[in-house]
Amino acid sequence: MIWHITKREIYDNLNSLRFALATVLLLGLMLTNAFVHLREHPERMQKYHDGVTESLNQLQSQTDLYRIAQYGPGLLHKKPSPLHFCAEGGDTVIPNTVYMRISVITHDLVGFWQLDYRPTRLNSKNIRPDSIKVDWGFVIGYILSLIAILFTFDSISGERERGTLRLTLAYAVARHTVLIGKFLGALLCISIPFALATLINLFVISTSSDVQLGTDAWSRLGIIFFIAILYLCLFIALGLLISSFVQRNAASLVTLLLIWVTFVVFMPSTLASIASGFSNPMTYDEFLERQTHIQSEFRDEYLSRLEGTGGFPNKRMQLAGEYVIKEVAARERLSHEYLDQQHIQIQQARSVTRLSPVAIVQHLLEAFAGTGFKRHQQFVENVQDYAREYREFVIDMDRSDPGSLHIIGAREGMSKKPISPETIPTFEDSLSLSRDFKTVVVDMFLLTLFFVVLLYGACLAFLHVEI
Amino acid sequence: MLKTLIRRELLEILMTFRFAAAVLIMLLLVVVNTYVLINDYDRRLEDYHTNVKDQQQDLREIKTYSAGHYRIARPPNPFSIFNVGLDKRLGNEIQITHAQVPTLWDASTYRTSNSLLNLFSSIDIVFIFEVVLSLMALIFAYDTLAGEHEQGTLRLVLTHPVGRGYILLAKYFSAMISLLVPLLMSLILAVILLTTSAAISLNVDDFLRIGGIVISSIVYLSVFYLIGMLISAVTRRTGTALMLAMVVWAFWLFVYPNVILAVIAPPQTSQAQMISAYDQLKQIWEEFDRERKHFLATDPVPGEDPHFGLVGEGPNFGLRGGSGYNAAYFYQSPSILKYYYQSHSNIGRLKEESKPNVPYAQNYNRFLGQQTVETAERAWLVRKQAFDSIFVKPAILERILLRFSPVGMYDAATQAWAGTDLYGLRDFFEATRNYRRTLIDYFYDSDIFGSKQWFTGDGGVVDWDSLPQFTFQKSEIHINAKRALPDLLLLLTMNLLLFVVIFIVFIRSEV
Repeated sequence: MIWHITKREIYDNLNSLRFALATVLLLGLMLTNAFVHLREHPERMQKYHDGVTESLNQLQSQTDLYRIAQYGPGLLHKKPSPLHFCAEGGDTVIPNTVYMRISVITHDLVGFWQLDYRPTRLNSKNIRPDSIKVDWGFVIGYILSLIAILFTFDSISGERERGTLRLTLAYAVARHTVLIGKFLGALLCISIPFALATLINLFVISTSSDVQLGTDAWSRLGIIFFIAILYLCLFIALGLLISSFVQRNAASLVTLLLIWVTFVVFMPSTLASIASGFSNPMTYDEFLERQTHIQSEFRDEYLSRLEGTGGFPNKRMQLAGEYVIKEVAARERLSHEYLDQQHIQIQQARSVTRLSPVAIVQHLLEAFAGTGFKRHQQFVENVQDYAREYREFVIDMDRSDPGSLHIIGAREGMSKKPISPETIPTFEDSLSLSRDFKTVVVDMFLLTLFFVVLLYGACLAFLHVEI
Repeated sequence: MLKTLIRRELLEILMTFRFAAAVLIMLLLVVVNTYVLINDYDRRLEDYHTNVKDQQQDLREIKTYSAGHYRIARPPNPFSIFNVGLDKRLGNEIQITHAQVPTLWDASTYRTSNSLLNLFSSIDIVFIFEVVLSLMALIFAYDTLAGEHEQGTLRLVLTHPVGRGYILLAKYFSAMISLLVPLLMSLILAVILLTTSAAISLNVDDFLRIGGIVISSIVYLSVFYLIGMLISAVTRRTGTALMLAMVVWAFWLFVYPNVILAVIAPPQTSQAQMISAYDQLKQIWEEFDRERKHFLATDPVPGEDPHFGLVGEGPNFGLRGGSGYNAAYFYQSPSILKYYYQSHSNIGRLKEESKPNVPYAQNYNRFLGQQTVETAERAWLVRKQAFDSIFVKPAILERILLRFSPVGMYDAATQAWAGTDLYGLRDFFEATRNYRRTLIDYFYDSDIFGSKQWFTGDGGVVDWDSLPQFTFQKSEIHINAKRALPDLLLLLTMNLLLFVVIFIVFIRSEV
């Protein structure tokens, strides 16, 4: 029986105007998306590879351990995701490199490298008009949900207006069967053009030799498609709910559109703006001030203790080494604190936006596409792991040389054996799916919860409504 | 007769559920967002004040003219609350040096708050109007003719001796009057919120600007109402009209602007243009360098040291954290066509043995100052042309393409009123260029390039308060009006055209 109603719904919809319009819209958007991705992705990859090669060349041109320990690994680059077309994830705002900085303790003591997290400044030179990037996130979040509303706003109120609902219910059909039938009908009807558009998009993208999608990427795409369908279900359920509540077609559509505009267009950014006011991270001024403070404190302490060494070169060296290491640690602690506070603020704002399903979908798509804020956090973690590895490498190398005095931080106290460039650890940014799963469980759960509640509400509303 | 018709329509609209719902949502969105926007503006204003204070403090610690960096902070525009435009994005701090004419691309961002916050796009009042007003207009319009046609009431009305044009006019005016209610109510609330904020003070001109935004909004609203009416007149069935109206709305609001901007690639030739412009700059400055070296080679002091061996007293001169320094270098940054020569010294008290060289240094710096200024002017011609063709032209082209939708026109018009459009922001950078000119004139008049204070504070440090101060006046209201007018006219023409088309369609349609 359900299948019967579903079939009827599908036939009803297939030769309607909205089906044609939805198909055209989705196809157009997905083709644009593929086209833009094919144009921009090779450039992005090229830039990444160039950057990595340059840092690597710089790194491997050194053979002196002290130099290696002082200059550090150079710029560290974030690896662009091959699934960038699924979610753009704030590319212009999130930095994709971590810099190195070498501080000067006193005029004759140069410190070691430390990680320097600089914000990206790309956008401040950009005078192009603002726009939303046409990625899958936009197509799914905005357009697919709107289509879902346009397909379902009259599914119950329309039949009630025409009187056909009475006719249907005159047969021995349970009401929930009718509702589920209508739900499935709408779902299938929208899934067809969406799947078609997605397939064409992927076909165009995969035919290009510039973009390589591995099995990992394809499984991610599968999950993304599943998320899109879940999100679609949510809006279909919402449409059915409002449609059975409200007596008239027009009122139903107006209500739905206003809900859509509020939740999809306005809520994510408004909520985020409000929520970002809750926490007060360290300002840049404050950060600079504390940095200067650390610097002068260490310098003064170093200089005063230097006078106490009485000119013994060994003692001086030990002192220099001690301060170089201490200074790097102190400054890096500060910049981590600064970064963490900023990230916590963003994290808070993002969790509040979860009240809007479109934000949830955005987060999920970013997580699976390997872009956006979460990915950036992962990148920063990778960088920090690598920094640790690199420093340990320096210590190990020094320890393995019996001729060294083992005073890391002082030129004369470290091993002078040339280092072969191949042994220096190199940075390879990586994406891992298993880690993504953990971060997205909450979002996934919330999305499902939204859907279940709405569908349940639609059922209740339809069961109790008079016809 | 017209009155009766309008009254009937008005009553019909005002009593509907959709009207109440739309007003409610509109007010809610505007109030909440205005509150958020005012907070954001306050924060930016605070940043601006900190910036100004920091700069003055930094400047006080410098002893010589050549080492002083005259940074100018760009104040946030309070009208960014209405339409943020480029106000928030572009650099808000710029360095003035006699060696380079400042442009928009030389500005840097002074931001004490978290830069990642830009992940969340900001919603301004005009954006809310763009989305909600157009939606409301279409919702009111889609069944205005088709609905009456379906119900048969249109026939009834036409049995009376009423011209069809009157019916259209009545419908149009009554809908516009009722749509004005949420528009004006929300704007009034927004303005009330604005005036209660301590950071914002509005003068008469500002209210006129708000008036301009209101007028643009009304015209924009009217365009969408007429589009809805046209769809209604053509399709004659409410179901189809509704569907078409919604697709048109979604297309113009969300699909068209984003797709068109995604499809247009930044032109590929720009990289080559960039390189050639940079080479030109390099040549200009290399020529400058040859003359500079020539001067040094022919002056009576042996060697080519641009600082004539001038050294200051005190510990660690020339070292980091020391008492002073000399520096001379070419500043190069190909990505923003930056290439210039800088030479500065920040010497406190001169060492006794370097004092005899002071007159030579003065002589050289007088020559160098003038030479640098002239070279900078020549470089500016190259840069201006390059920036115009590489960045400005494509950006203007994109804005023209956006104007193929009424949303684009409305956005451009309100940005012009608010002064947050490209022209409004370029005004600021024009002002910084004028300020640089004033500063250089002042330097010439008081022979500062050739003075001792150019490189050393020996014999008195610079009195920074005696420098001419930078002031920036927002463009006058008539300039805003002039910039907004083309788009406003386009919108008005669109209104007229639509009305004529609707009239023709309606006259010739069978009832």
